Amino acid sequence: MLGDIADRISRQLNRGTEVILAALMVALVLDVWIGVVDRYFFHWQLPWPEVLARYLMIWAAMLAVSSGIARREHIGLTAVLLNLPAPLRRAMLIGIDLMTFALFFYVLWFGIGFAESGAKRQAMILGATLQPFYAAIPAAALLACVQVVLVMIRDMGRQLDLPDTPSEEGAGA
Amino acid sequence: MIVGLCFVLLLAVGMPIGFAIGLAGVIGIFTMGGGTTFLAIGPSKIFNGLNIFPFLAMPFFILAGEIMNSTGITGRLVKLAEVLVGRFRGGLAHTNMLASVFFAGLTGSATADAAAFGRTLVPAMVKQGYKRDYACAVTAAGSIIGPTIPPSGLMVVYGSLMGVSIGGLFAAGLLPGLVICAVCMSVIAIGGKRENLPKAERGATLGEIWQTFLSSITALLMPIIILGGILGGIVTPTEAASIAVAYALFIGFFVYRTLTFRELYAMLVRTARITGVIFVIIAFAGILGWWMSFERIPQAIASTVLGLSDNPYAIIAIIICILLVVGMVMDITAILIILGPVLVPLTEQIGLEPIHAGIIFVLALNISLMTPPVGACLFVLSSVTGEKLERISVKLAPFLIAEVIILFLFAFWEDAALLLPRALGFAP
Repeated sequence: MLGDIADRISRQLNRGTEVILAALMVALVLDVWIGVVDRYFFHWQLPWPEVLARYLMIWAAMLAVSSGIARREHIGLTAVLLNLPAPLRRAMLIGIDLMTFALFFYVLWFGIGFAESGAKRQAMILGATLQPFYAAIPAAALLACVQVVLVMIRDMGRQLDLPDTPSEEGAGA
Repeated sequence: MIVGLCFVLLLAVGMPIGFAIGLAGVIGIFTMGGGTTFLAIGPSKIFNGLNIFPFLAMPFFILAGEIMNSTGITGRLVKLAEVLVGRFRGGLAHTNMLASVFFAGLTGSATADAAAFGRTLVPAMVKQGYKRDYACAVTAAGSIIGPTIPPSGLMVVYGSLMGVSIGGLFAAGLLPGLVICAVCMSVIAIGGKRENLPKAERGATLGEIWQTFLSSITALLMPIIILGGILGGIVTPTEAASIAVAYALFIGFFVYRTLTFRELYAMLVRTARITGVIFVIIAFAGILGWWMSFERIPQAIASTVLGLSDNPYAIIAIIICILLVVGMVMDITAILIILGPVLVPLTEQIGLEPIHAGIIFVLALNISLMTPPVGACLFVLSSVTGEKLERISVKLAPFLIAEVIILFLFAFWEDAALLLPRALGFAP
């Protein structure tokens, strides 16, 4: 029941994140094209396309981390886990989720101060400060924290269970 | 010591590699003391680790490859390879290998090639009478041609992090990629009778070859545009990658007219996700890398290795062995980011040309993609085809040996490794 609710929230949150990701990717492509057209045809010598492209890439890549968490796409070694008894494996997978949460909570906690420090620095993009770009780090970390908790509740360490692996209820029955 | 142990332990228990790197880095910073002073540095290291313009080439190459694949060009390229080499004994195995060369200009990813061919060519080979483990082994062996022949994501990361010309690395990758293809086709030909490989009843006519060539010309032009622009010094790799996206969109929307906005949306999201999975490793490696350099670990490892021998060939061999062994159990981007700053200074100390060192790294890491127990290409093929990993590994052995020999050949023979970079003015 709780798992289903977590799954639903995780999916909806991820759907929203993916819409933003697609928009960021479009902006990224258009921005680099503007830079190319400027450099080879118009010679306006615009200073911002390259800088903006880097920051858009960082936003897109960092936000995509939470999407990867929602879909369990981040690569890890499973050889040891797959050879463990199911209850131990599930406990370890929950432990990994908790450690992942701790990591992103660390990034979120110190990332807020980092983003605030950007308010005093110029981004070389039409007078903007670095704050909205530095904010990618804590924003992505917050999303990652939420997604880790949601997928942990959703999966409860069962993400590596094979279809024929008996569940604890099944084994007990 | 504690950090290294934590890192290995986290990896072993299955923590995603990027997160394990990040946690190990945070533990490292924590052990330095200093309260929150050092801990507060982490987010800036993550940001700065990604704040590198050439990295943009990677998502663009991924997106261009995704779009081109969606146009159905995969089938056309395989058909072209088949009409060229399908007439020989083991025709489809040769086709598999040659198609990897054609695909290299589109995707630049070994696992993408392995997945695509695992779904299409392996079943076709099995249907024609090939053993499935052999078909998988041929596919695995050919898949590393993708990231060796440019464009290559790994070269983009290496060049960006180590300050080496990405164009120069692209130039250096061309020859080894073609040699790997030729040597693997020789391995197929030599083992053809022993493996009882099937032979096509008739070869394609010149007319058929010409027609197939014309139907796949749009795909073949893309690497020419990319490489011509970069190697000719006209555009940077990032600009070339963005032009490749424009070209792929044009082909998808206006030439083949198979691309829809719904599909494009899915591709944009998928590209962002793939980029996120790779870049989170790079981002967190910024923290671990900072801690390592603070503790002067690269210098300590360098002096240990140099203490073993001062012979340049021995040092190169040690570096290759380290990369191949670590590559057996770890993601290659992570290896590059963690071991690059440790091993690259060694190559500088023995006077290795930076592009030459780069191509050694790229080749070794690519080969490790197909080494058991956790070579990514082996895993992809095993999961896509259902063949057992051990059986694929056994059939892969001759190809693996051949590719390691090629690696050592280009590592020890600088003139061959730098033939194209020198001809194009990338290396002295």
